[in-house]
Amino acid sequence: MAVQSPSLDDPRVLVDTPAAIVDAIPPYAPRSEREAEFYALGDGQMLLNIGPHHPATHGVLRIVLKIEGERIVDLDPVLGYLHRGVEKLAENADYHHSIAYTDPLEYVSSLFNELAPVMAFERLLDLRVPRRAEYLRVLSCELLRVSSHILFMGFMALDMGGLTPILYSFIERDEMVDMLAALTGQRMLFNYMRIGGVNGDLNHEFLSRLGDWMSRAGRQAEAISTLLNENEIFVKRTRGLGAISRGQALNLGLTGPNLRACGVPFDVRRAHPYSVYPELDFDVVTADEGDTYARYLVRVEEIKQSIRIIDQVLHEMPDGPVMARIPRRITPPPGRAWAAIESPRGQYGCYAMSDGTDQPYRFRIHDPSFVNLQALVPILPGCLIADTMAVNASLDPIMGGVDK
Amino acid sequence: MNVVPRSAPRIPALWLLLFALGGLGTLVLLVLIVGILSGVIPAIVIWLGGVILANIAIVRFIVAATAILLFTIPTAFVIIFMELKVIAFMNLRIGPNRVGPWGALASVVHGLKVLSKEDFTPTGADPTVFTLAPVATFVGSVMAFMVLPFGPGLFGVDLNVGLLYFFAVGGLGVVGLLMAGWASFNKYSLLGGLRSAAQMVSYEIPLTLSVVGVIMLAGTLSLNGIVQAQSGSFLDWFVVRQPLAFLIFFIAATAEANRTPFDLTEADSEIVAGFATEYSGMRFGFFFFAEYVNVFLLSGLAVVLFFGGWTSPIPWPWPIHFALSPLESLIAILVLLIVVPVVASFLLAIPIWVIRTRLSFARAFAMGMLLFGPLATAAVLIYLVINLDALLGIIWFFAKAYVFVFTFVWMRATLPRVRIDQLMGLAWKWLLPASLVNLFITALAILVVHP
Repeated sequence: MAVQSPSLDDPRVLVDTPAAIVDAIPPYAPRSEREAEFYALGDGQMLLNIGPHHPATHGVLRIVLKIEGERIVDLDPVLGYLHRGVEKLAENADYHHSIAYTDPLEYVSSLFNELAPVMAFERLLDLRVPRRAEYLRVLSCELLRVSSHILFMGFMALDMGGLTPILYSFIERDEMVDMLAALTGQRMLFNYMRIGGVNGDLNHEFLSRLGDWMSRAGRQAEAISTLLNENEIFVKRTRGLGAISRGQALNLGLTGPNLRACGVPFDVRRAHPYSVYPELDFDVVTADEGDTYARYLVRVEEIKQSIRIIDQVLHEMPDGPVMARIPRRITPPPGRAWAAIESPRGQYGCYAMSDGTDQPYRFRIHDPSFVNLQALVPILPGCLIADTMAVNASLDPIMGGVDK
Repeated sequence: MNVVPRSAPRIPALWLLLFALGGLGTLVLLVLIVGILSGVIPAIVIWLGGVILANIAIVRFIVAATAILLFTIPTAFVIIFMELKVIAFMNLRIGPNRVGPWGALASVVHGLKVLSKEDFTPTGADPTVFTLAPVATFVGSVMAFMVLPFGPGLFGVDLNVGLLYFFAVGGLGVVGLLMAGWASFNKYSLLGGLRSAAQMVSYEIPLTLSVVGVIMLAGTLSLNGIVQAQSGSFLDWFVVRQPLAFLIFFIAATAEANRTPFDLTEADSEIVAGFATEYSGMRFGFFFFAEYVNVFLLSGLAVVLFFGGWTSPIPWPWPIHFALSPLESLIAILVLLIVVPVVASFLLAIPIWVIRTRLSFARAFAMGMLLFGPLATAAVLIYLVINLDALLGIIWFFAKAYVFVFTFVWMRATLPRVRIDQLMGLAWKWLLPASLVNLFITALAILVVHP
């Protein structure tokens, strides 16, 4: 431990060196060895506080960078600005209500937030879901995965200074969200998944919109990728940047496209199949480089795979009910259940414990964004300030899910 | 019953205004009559005329400087509007459409909004430097305008070291940005200011070296002279003989103007707004005025150096020149004004009357007169365009310059931002050697062609 950093508890600090305020030094004595080391500045070093309100931190992530000129020496991500205590809230609501609490976690892909708890509760109840409901779940989730990945492309470009792709992505997302609103009744927080099935069956408006969209599926994604994939500036900025090795990724516990970009073909839809995914034909997209560009390309390719899945689902959807017959008030037998699904960001898991009442005894959410965000700390030191945004965008965290 | 007292008769505001103006006018008229009769005013006029004639260069300079200062404001507004609307179309948005036709006044409203905002100086900032920084940036841009030839004879000053002056004064802007970055007491501002210093200093070199080839071909540093060296058809433009230099110049100019993809100094997704983070109100407005003026300035310079300035791409093959004495031309103009409208209206009325015989000839004549209006205007305009080099020159200059402005806006809508190390690498590893190679080849070619 080198020089003790000035503490803001000391009133003289405020008066004499207002620079301390800008230095983002916490107003208390260091709590740990790591904190003392981080806030002790070496020669020519400076702390740069990015966030929690910053144009490129995808919500309210705060990153304290220790920089030497433009180069990052160390960093300290600070989380928790969007903590709402969803898990605790869900423990005080009955099973149906807790789904609504999880809905706004990863707010660009809410259906996945509903699906994992619903599946966990169904496992607690040992309930069989009608096949048509399973197909509807897969259909709506894959639509939302396309939307989420297209939004990712736009935000990635925006964080790197490209103005146009984000607007192309929002055109597409608007269409998909309107389409899902026709199916579920809501534009953003759908609340569509129900214990035992889904909220509504296919309807005419949804199908006509979907058919319209499928005839030009991914056109905006194509438009964005033509703006980015061959763009020398974009490729030069992302290729080789923030590379994560296979072993490092596994050690960090990364999942989803971030892990697959490192060459690990792990996809919950294939590794631990749920719903009707075993019957569907799709590829697990991987890349070997593990860098920012690979993470981007994997997502672009996954859009095409999702469109493939939607096509199959539409062809093979059976007739039948969309809800299992279950009582309004459900009291699962005491037990525990774990359900994991592949959200656009990785393995989204839900662990539920029942004590026999109509409220979950313990409710825990494993959010992929939280895990993926860890990768910032090992890969950013040595990069430049501008790379923080590119890497952060490529990891695609949603702070609602990270802070829960 | 209440008796309502009769109020004083209310005079309409318009009448009040007319009374006031009438009184003022009468007063002025009286003073003029007295002055002229007593011989004071003629004496003053003669004296003033003598002074002006003796110092015609200074007067010309003051008029030009005022004109340019006034000209920068609409230019900035037009470019801001272009940026709003063109990028909106490229983004598949509608863009501004509330104020003015097609939202054309949106940028003006932005300007007024900026004026009405609080002018805030943060705690810890150095107030003097903080206040002077936007002024320094703006003055740098506007001063560089003085040597830019807009048309034949239309320039502030024709310095024989015009290009050198242009780069020297244009480089002043970076001082303002650095001052802003330093004085704001904000780390984002500091990073932005230092980035701009590094970027501008690096890109000044290829920018200046790339035009040395042009200077050697033209044999002069005067921007007016460089334009004259390119007169003729578009094949005489220096871009034909110096394509590499133009490419280097354009890239370096983009970096000089802090435009995408080199807008690192105000990279909004990285360092919030860079040097302008702590600025609000009109100080912030000045920075952005300076930026847009710079865009036009560098577009104009590109046109002057490589695209023939105010010369037309294909020279008008039938130049029309009248060599009339003042008296003759006065008579000619009177004849034109009196005879031509009547005759032309009559001639235009005949076909109308022939086609629609129900019409009385008086009505047909009136319609002919109505038709004559736009035709005469068009004819006069065409005459001016053909005959007045200055007007034609301005039109060509602006047309060409706005093509480049459009390109700048287009790049902003399309390209992401480069990283600081790539930016520096581009300047020192690619542009500098390339401009040296270009210089060498040009020198060699001149040596071979004109030994």
